[in-house]
Amino acid sequence: MKGKTAIIGIGRTRFGEHYELDPEDLIDEAGLMALDSAGIERKDLDACYISDYLLQVTNKIGLEEGFISQLLERNIPIERMRSFSSALLNACNAIESGKYDVVLVGGMEKMTDRWSKIRDNLMLLEDHWAYYAGGTPETSHELLLREYMKSYGIRGENQEKLMMTLAQISVKNHRNAVKNEYAHFQREIDVKRVLAARTEEKRILGLYDFAPISDGATALILASSKKADEYTDSPVYVLATALATDYISYPSRSYRAGFIASRISMEKALKSAGITLDDIKILEVYDQSTVLEMTSLEDLGFVERGKAWIELYKNFEDFKGFYRLGSREVYVNTDGGLKADGNPLGATGGAQIFEVVKQLKGEAGQRQIKPDGDLLFGCVQEIEGFGTKVYVHILGREKSGK
Amino acid sequence: MGSEPIERRVSYIGDRLKGSRCPFCGKEYFRMRKYCGNCGRKSLGKMEDIDYFYEKGVLENCTIVREPTNRFTRLGSYIYGIISFHNGKVRIPGRLTDMILRNDESINLEDLEGREVVPRFRRRYSVEKNDIIPTTSLAFTFADEYYPYQEYKISELGKEYDAPGIVGYGVYVSRFRIKEGGMERSVPFIDEDAITAAVEAGKLALIHSGVDHKLVDKIYVGSESNPYADNPIASKVAQVLKLGEEERAEGVQGVDAVDTEFACKAATSMFKDAMALVCYPKNPMRFVMVIGADNAQAAPRGEPGGELDFFVGFGGAAFIFGKEDVIAEIEGWYSCTSDTPDFWRRDLEPYPQHGGRFTGEPAYFKHIIKAGRKLMERMNLKPSDIDYFTCHQPNPAFPARAAATLGFKPEQYMPGLYVSKFGNTYSGSSPIGLAAILDQAEPHKRIMIVSYGSGAGSDAYLFITTSQIKDKRSRQKFTVRYQAENKFLQYVDYATYRKFKEGL
Repeated sequence: MKGKTAIIGIGRTRFGEHYELDPEDLIDEAGLMALDSAGIERKDLDACYISDYLLQVTNKIGLEEGFISQLLERNIPIERMRSFSSALLNACNAIESGKYDVVLVGGMEKMTDRWSKIRDNLMLLEDHWAYYAGGTPETSHELLLREYMKSYGIRGENQEKLMMTLAQISVKNHRNAVKNEYAHFQREIDVKRVLAARTEEKRILGLYDFAPISDGATALILASSKKADEYTDSPVYVLATALATDYISYPSRSYRAGFIASRISMEKALKSAGITLDDIKILEVYDQSTVLEMTSLEDLGFVERGKAWIELYKNFEDFKGFYRLGSREVYVNTDGGLKADGNPLGATGGAQIFEVVKQLKGEAGQRQIKPDGDLLFGCVQEIEGFGTKVYVHILGREKSGK
Repeated sequence: MGSEPIERRVSYIGDRLKGSRCPFCGKEYFRMRKYCGNCGRKSLGKMEDIDYFYEKGVLENCTIVREPTNRFTRLGSYIYGIISFHNGKVRIPGRLTDMILRNDESINLEDLEGREVVPRFRRRYSVEKNDIIPTTSLAFTFADEYYPYQEYKISELGKEYDAPGIVGYGVYVSRFRIKEGGMERSVPFIDEDAITAAVEAGKLALIHSGVDHKLVDKIYVGSESNPYADNPIASKVAQVLKLGEEERAEGVQGVDAVDTEFACKAATSMFKDAMALVCYPKNPMRFVMVIGADNAQAAPRGEPGGELDFFVGFGGAAFIFGKEDVIAEIEGWYSCTSDTPDFWRRDLEPYPQHGGRFTGEPAYFKHIIKAGRKLMERMNLKPSDIDYFTCHQPNPAFPARAAATLGFKPEQYMPGLYVSKFGNTYSGSSPIGLAAILDQAEPHKRIMIVSYGSGAGSDAYLFITTSQIKDKRSRQKFTVRYQAENKFLQYVDYATYRKFKEGL
C-alpha cells in the first residue's frame, strides 16, 4: 500500500479572545510551535495548506497565501481552504501522491473582531435562504433537536431526560477543558446553570448549549511516511481522511434528525483506514451545540439512531470520563470540545487533531486517557456549515489497522 | 444586500416562492431547476415552472427566535421553522409574521406545529434608509386565523358586456388595530408597508375575479406613502402577481405598470382611464388593475401635522376593470379639480402638513358635493334613484355630513362607511367603501362613489351591479366586514402603533 501521511509536529494557540493579536500573530505562534515540535525549520517546508472561514469578512484580508509567504519568508506553494480539515485532506492527497514531503497545515480565525455582526455572516454562510427567512445559527440546532424528538417519539419525561443529558454534555465538556491549558473556558459549570440559561432565555437551548465564537490558530507538520522516519520515532499517521457533502438547505434534506454526510464520511474513513468502530477509543466530535455531540454519536455509528439520548443519560448517572455505548468505551471531546475548548472556525479542526495526537502519543498530561487495552486509533469529525460538509479523519499510531 | 443585481435575483425567486416540477416523476424543487435529479437528462428543458404563492403549506417544525440576527432585531421575538408544501414534496424555511410575542411569554411550540400556513408578502428585514427595500414571501400566517387560505382559480371567461366595469376586487387591511375614543384604526405589522398592502389587495382581487393574471395589461397603483420617493410600487406588484405575459428569458412581464399620485384620489382617478383602455378602439386592453394602498403617515401628536395621527389607517383596495364577466357596469362619471392646497408634504419631509379647519368646507365638502351633485344632474338622477353611496372617509363625521348634504339617508351610506373600523386609509379609503358595498349589493343596484384628494379634487362614479355579482361572491371570504369584525384582530398600544408604522 501507498505510504500514509504522518503528523510529525503540532501546535496551537490558546483559544479565546485575543484582542491584541492579528491573525498573522496567531498563525505565527501556532506554526512556530508546530515547527519546533517537529524539530524542523521553515526552509524544510515544501508547501503550506492553510484555512480560515471568514478572514475576508472579519479582518478584510484576502490572499492569505501572501502573508503566510511573508511570515515564512518563502516562495513555496501555499493554498488557502475554508476549514482545517479541508486543508488537511488536500495536504494528505498531495503528500500521498508523492508531490510534497513536508507540509505545514495551519488554520486561523479572528472572530471576536466582528463580535456584533458575526452571527449574520455565519448564517449567510450556512444557508442564505434560511437567513432571509429569519433563521439564526442557533435555530438550526433547535430545529434539529425538535426533529429528533419528533422522529423518535421522545415526549414528556423522556424529553426531560434528553434535555438533562444535553446539559450534562455541556458540563462534561467544561470539566474536560479545566485540564486543557489552551481552552477558551477553563472553568467548570453545573447542570443548574445550563438549565437556568435556557429558562432565562425562554428558548429550547441556552447559552451553555452552544460553542462560543473564538480567536485562535492551530498548525500541524505533515510528512510522507518515508520522510517522517528521519524526524521522529513516534509519528501519528493519518490513516484516512474522508469527506461527504449534503444540501446547503437543511429543510430540503430527507433526514433531518442528524447529518447523513457524517454517516457516509465515517463509513468511507473506516474502510479506508482498515479499522472498525471498536478500534476507536478516542473521538473528537464537532459539538457546535450539545445536540450535535449527541446526534454525531449516532451519525458516526457508535449508537443506534434515536438511542443516543437514553444511552448518554445512563452514562451520566455515573460518569467515568468516557461513554459506554454497547460494548464500546469511547472518550469524547477530552479537550472540552468546541463548547469549552472554543471554536475559531478555520482553526477548530486543528485543535481536534492536536488533542487526538496528544492522547495517542500519551502526552496529554492531566487529561491523558487510559482506556483498557492499547490506545492505537482516534477519530476526528469536523463539520462545515450545518452538516453541509462533514470530514472524518482517522489517526493511528500504526500505519494501518489490524 | 443593497446591491441591486443580488436583490433582483433574490426577490424574483423569494417574492413568489418560485420552483420547478419534473413532469415525469413529479419531484419538486424550491428555486427553479433545469434538470431533475431522479429523471436525469430526459428532464432537461422540460421542467415545469411552479410557485407556492397561492398555496398553503404546513408548519412542520419550529422554534422561537429571541435574539435575531442584526437585520431582524426590530421584529423582536418571532417563530421560525420549516414549512412543507404538497405533502412534503418541498420544504423551505419560513418566519411566522403577524404575531406579537412578548419576551416574557413562553410558547408551546407543539400548539403551532402541524397547522396550515399561507405565504404572505412582506418586507424581508431592516436595511439602511438609502437601501433597496428587500421583500420576501418566506413569511407565513396561520390559514385558520385572520387571513384565510383561498384558492386562486382562473375561470373561463363568459359574457361580454356593452359597458366596461368592475370584474373583481380585493381589500386588504392588516390584522392589527389601535382603539382610541370610539374609533378603531388599522395598523400595519412591522414588516408591512404600502407596497405589501398593494400586493395583497391585488392578489385578493385576482382571487375574487378569477381573471388570469396574464390577461392584465396595465396596472396603476395610487399611493401617497410609497416608501420610495423614486421607484414604483406598480413594478413590484406586476412582478409578484405576474401580471401580463411573462417573458421568461429576460424575466420581464408584458404589462404596463405605473404609480399615480393625487393624495387620497390617486387610485379612483384611474378608474375611468382603466375603463377607457379596455374600450380602446384598436388593441383594447383585456383587463386593467387599479390599486389604492396607503400606510398613511402622520407626525407624532403635538408636532405640526400631528392632528392627523388620530385618524390615519393602513390598507388597500384593488379593482380589476374589463368588459367580460363584469359585476358592476359603469354608468357615468364626473371629476372636478381646483388648486386648493389643504394637505401637503414637501420633498424629503417625512410627514404631511395639514390646513386645519380649511380642510373641511373649502376643500373636502366643496369638491365632494360638487362632484356628486354634478354627476346626478348629468345622469338626471335623484338621491333616491341611487341605492348606495360612499365617499372619502377621513374621519367619521365628514362622510356622513357630505352624504346628508347630497340628500342620502343612512341606509344608503352606512354600508360603505368603515372609517371607524379602519381609520383613514387614504388612497384606499373610498375604494374600500365601494368594496364594502359590492360585498353585499344585490344585482341591478346603483352605487355612487365620490373620492376626494387633497390638493384638491374629487372623482364621482356611478356603477350598476350585474347578476354576476352574486356568482363571484363565494370566491372571497376575506370581505371588508370579515376584516372589520374578526375575532383574530389584535389591539396594540400607542407606542407599538408608532413603531409598527415606522416599519423595519
